[in-house]
Amino acid sequence: MTNRLAVFAGAIALAAFALTSASRADSISYADAVSTLANDCGSDIKKYCKGLNLGGGRIQACLEQHAGKVSPTCTMTLANVIASIKQREAAQSSFATVCKHDIAQYCKSVKGEGNVLSCLNKATRVNEGQCGQAIIDAGWR
Amino acid sequence: MKNIGFSALLTIGLTLSSGQALAQELNDTQLVRTLGRIESAAPAIDIALLVEEASANAGKGVANLPNWQKLSKLSQLIVEIEFENDSVAIEPKSYRTVGLIADALHHPNLRRYKFLVVGHTNATGDANHNLELSAQRANAITEALSTTFAIKPDRLYSIGVGEEWPLDPANPKAAENRRVQLINLGLVK
Repeated sequence: MTNRLAVFAGAIALAAFALTSASRADSISYADAVSTLANDCGSDIKKYCKGLNLGGGRIQACLEQHAGKVSPTCTMTLANVIASIKQREAAQSSFATVCKHDIAQYCKSVKGEGNVLSCLNKATRVNEGQCGQAIIDAGWR
Repeated sequence: MKNIGFSALLTIGLTLSSGQALAQELNDTQLVRTLGRIESAAPAIDIALLVEEASANAGKGVANLPNWQKLSKLSQLIVEIEFENDSVAIEPKSYRTVGLIADALHHPNLRRYKFLVVGHTNATGDANHNLELSAQRANAITEALSTTFAIKPDRLYSIGVGEEWPLDPANPKAAENRRVQLINLGLVK
């Protein structure tokens, strides 16, 4: 139930993101993204994509090839899932750039990316700023 | 030793629960914590040697081979990933588990490490076929991780050991012997 709500919220957030690129969108985890795919497209995958695997874009290609037959919910979900995976990826790779200043200021002597992250998560001023948001978007808090 | 106990706990959680309950049993924070526990003296693993030994011992088991025993000393956990019958296609209901692994492997605490996926079957069917299928399935998991979930391919290794290393050696056909081991191999060079 929580998952469905999160996904619904994710879809709204994505729609909002598409309308105004300046507005914030909550990124969701890879696990939640593919859980939605399994829930909404699972029966179509088993029907039309037998023997095909999740990797290499094969499930996506298969569902797109059978676009006329797969359920409308699945078609919508597929687009959202692809978008949220890309969004999470972008959030994670922007972490170093967005947090550069805060790292220099609050966690200068800390070694190792994992330790830097724990250090940032403890600094209240970081949590309130852009870097804090970047950490949330990356799914690391 | 502690690691092994924890892995077993996770597996039990996974086996008994399903659907959303599974997400509560296994989450990426647990994965990050379990896989991130690094012993300073972790042994180096020669994957080509493991593959060679598994093929040479199809039907005889690998549990007593020193190179395979080394794997037990590394940080790891066991997950269940369901596949279509006799196929490399991951069942949609197991997508979440692969996604959880991806979330964990992208975490800064684990981003410097490389991982080995070991595929296991139970003893139903031909030992050589099981060895081959488990290798293809383990490879399917690392392929999904490196494409759909953008984990760098140089951090991922896969091998299949078929039915040669059962969790429950007294019952080689037990369902719990079918499993996937995810092992931290140490720093990416």
